[in-house]
Amino acid sequence: MLNPLDVVKVIEDNVRRYGFPFPVPREAVYSWAKPLRLLDRGSTMLYTGALYQLTPYIASIVEQLSAIEGSRVSGLALKLSGILSSLGVSRLIVRPKGDMVSVVERILTSIVSLLERAEVKVAYPYEDDMYSGVLLYDLGLDELFKEHAVKVYRALKSRGAELLVTVDPHTTHIMRSVYPRYVDGYDLEVKSYLEVLAERGVRLVREPSGGKVVIHDPCLYARFENVVEQPRMLLRTAGFDVLEPRRSRKMTYCCGGPIEGLTPKMAKMIAKTRLEELREKSGTIVTLCPICYANLRAVAEGDVEVIDIALVLSGAKP
Amino acid sequence: MTFNALQAYQEIWGALLDEEFQEALRRASTISQVRVEELLAERRELVELCREVAGIKRRSIDTLEELVERAYRSLEAVRAKPYLAGDAEEARRIIGGLVGSGKLVVMAKSMAAAEVGLRGYLESLGNEVWETDLGELLVQLEGSKPMHTTTPAVHMTRYKAIKLISEKLGVKLKGDSVEEAVKAVREFLRGKIVKADVGISGANALAADTGAIILVENESNIRLVTSTPPIHIALVPVDKIVPTLLDAVKVAIVQAAYTGLYPPTYISIIAGPSSTADIERVRVYGAQGPRELHVVLLDNGRLKALKDPLLKEQLRCIRCGRCQYECPVWVHTANKWGGPAYGGPMGLVWTAITVDPIEAGKLSYLCLGCGRCDASCPVEIPLSTILRHLKTMASRSS
Ligand code: SF4
Repeated sequence: MLNPLDVVKVIEDNVRRYGFPFPVPREAVYSWAKPLRLLDRGSTMLYTGALYQLTPYIASIVEQLSAIEGSRVSGLALKLSGILSSLGVSRLIVRPKGDMVSVVERILTSIVSLLERAEVKVAYPYEDDMYSGVLLYDLGLDELFKEHAVKVYRALKSRGAELLVTVDPHTTHIMRSVYPRYVDGYDLEVKSYLEVLAERGVRLVREPSGGKVVIHDPCLYARFENVVEQPRMLLRTAGFDVLEPRRSRKMTYCCGGPIEGLTPKMAKMIAKTRLEELREKSGTIVTLCPICYANLRAVAEGDVEVIDIALVLSGAKP
Repeated sequence: MTFNALQAYQEIWGALLDEEFQEALRRASTISQVRVEELLAERRELVELCREVAGIKRRSIDTLEELVERAYRSLEAVRAKPYLAGDAEEARRIIGGLVGSGKLVVMAKSMAAAEVGLRGYLESLGNEVWETDLGELLVQLEGSKPMHTTTPAVHMTRYKAIKLISEKLGVKLKGDSVEEAVKAVREFLRGKIVKADVGISGANALAADTGAIILVENESNIRLVTSTPPIHIALVPVDKIVPTLLDAVKVAIVQAAYTGLYPPTYISIIAGPSSTADIERVRVYGAQGPRELHVVLLDNGRLKALKDPLLKEQLRCIRCGRCQYECPVWVHTANKWGGPAYGGPMGLVWTAITVDPIEAGKLSYLCLGCGRCDASCPVEIPLSTILRHLKTMASRSS
């Protein structure tokens, strides 16, 4: 198993140096939005916190860590910093999981078009769509998190943001429930796009043959942010029959993602348990979070399909 | 006691590769989750009761220091002999002094005893010591530690358990019958219990108003251990003290229900040693039960934890073990993800309180922050928030 203290150190260093938990080219965060020509200032601001965009990189790093973890059956705590340099950090930079990059771009583009259908015009902060610092918070790195959060808040304010429309549960939670405790004078209102769509009544194209899907609630939406009924309502409106796994809503079961960087093996075991439980209800699994998407997809076999809710709702289902 | 987080991580890795361990945990946790879920759906009054207990525990912890004093006086009033042990070593010394050496000691499952390393210590003094809870006995025979708060041998399959019993107790067991195994253990332990010099138990709760100890169980070993030998010693962590006897019974009922045991098979209320005054109203101690009752109140970091607003929240814990069975990480590691005695969500915090917050913090990195433990806890302990707090403590120290 990897030594978690080493992992924490690496993440800390990277955020200090690059603003991200691992080195990523900045454009990778906002290049998807360029063709959309969104205003770069405005009071209603789409803020991704970069989590969707980081997912293809995370997936590739986890794959590499997984090989390392598995090759040492003795289970010795490994020196991660040594491993990363032996792998060559540069290799980690340039190799996001290729097919996932385009999926992520389609998801984000779909979210903008869904918001447009609900007559919500969003601005987008491009270079200032910074990483929110979720991982710093999750790892208890409070001082660095606070520093980072203040920077993010200032950048968003400087672009005129009043309402942040977020796209994933982690960023929603951190911006809505955590930032106010760390950033003095924090005054941004935060809503997940799913809440916005449900509230403003998006006109969804009704799928004639929607079919049965099973919903996987992400922990943070379900247990911390009360985003539970909205996705169900939206899916039903779009003509889908929404099935519930044994553990759902407030008692949903984690996909294992949060510990994938420490022990990919255990993260996979958790994901497998969850995938099997979901699969009992339907072979089409709808996720609401990029981490859930990547983790469940990584263990999905055969005819199981894991698909992000934005693609389902926008009718972009492949 | 000390422990090392990196070593625990290595054991966790071993557990992940151990298929029998994984299989046993998978089965036990699924059965337990479904059982409690159904029980609570069927008996809404239990959900109400657990809210009430959360309130009782909140108020108790807020006045803990005062309750300890009250409990001390009430114990004296019912002729139990109270002691206050500041730390694990002092608890071992007090109990070691009471037991002496060359004795036969029987123990009823107690996490507090595991916390202070009592069994090993009494053995080192030259005593013969037996656990009488079947799960805890299996743990003793295996030479490991309790893997869950209420079901210590949760990591063993029946094959493993039967093998241990036949090999270590020298009884011949044929096939894989659990019934046969239970019967063999019953006979073996009966022989020890009737001859024992001292019985040692923990407590689910202690009532400050009356000095009554409450113990809940299904095996009836606690009844035997606390009533057969002439001396009964109870090791009671101070956080288990609640204001009244009624409060204490409520705690025991909720604790049992959240482990899936409802109605509880047995609840014992013990207030003082056994006595009779049937002849000329002359009070004689030691009728059919123990003639002496010693109650060791264990602090071991708890009163200090009152000063940390988050660690303080853990002191409400009634040790039902719900948060362990519900945790996606724990169901793959059991208490290997933990310190010398406690593990899992509650166990990391208890390890921080009773052993070492920094090492416990290093282990907390495995917490997903998913919040299933928070949502399952009958007394509303914000476990995932506390675990994050431990991570912060660990990272600040390095
Ligand atoms: S923390 Fe809560 S759920 Fe866990 S053992 Fe204690 S009371 Fe039970």
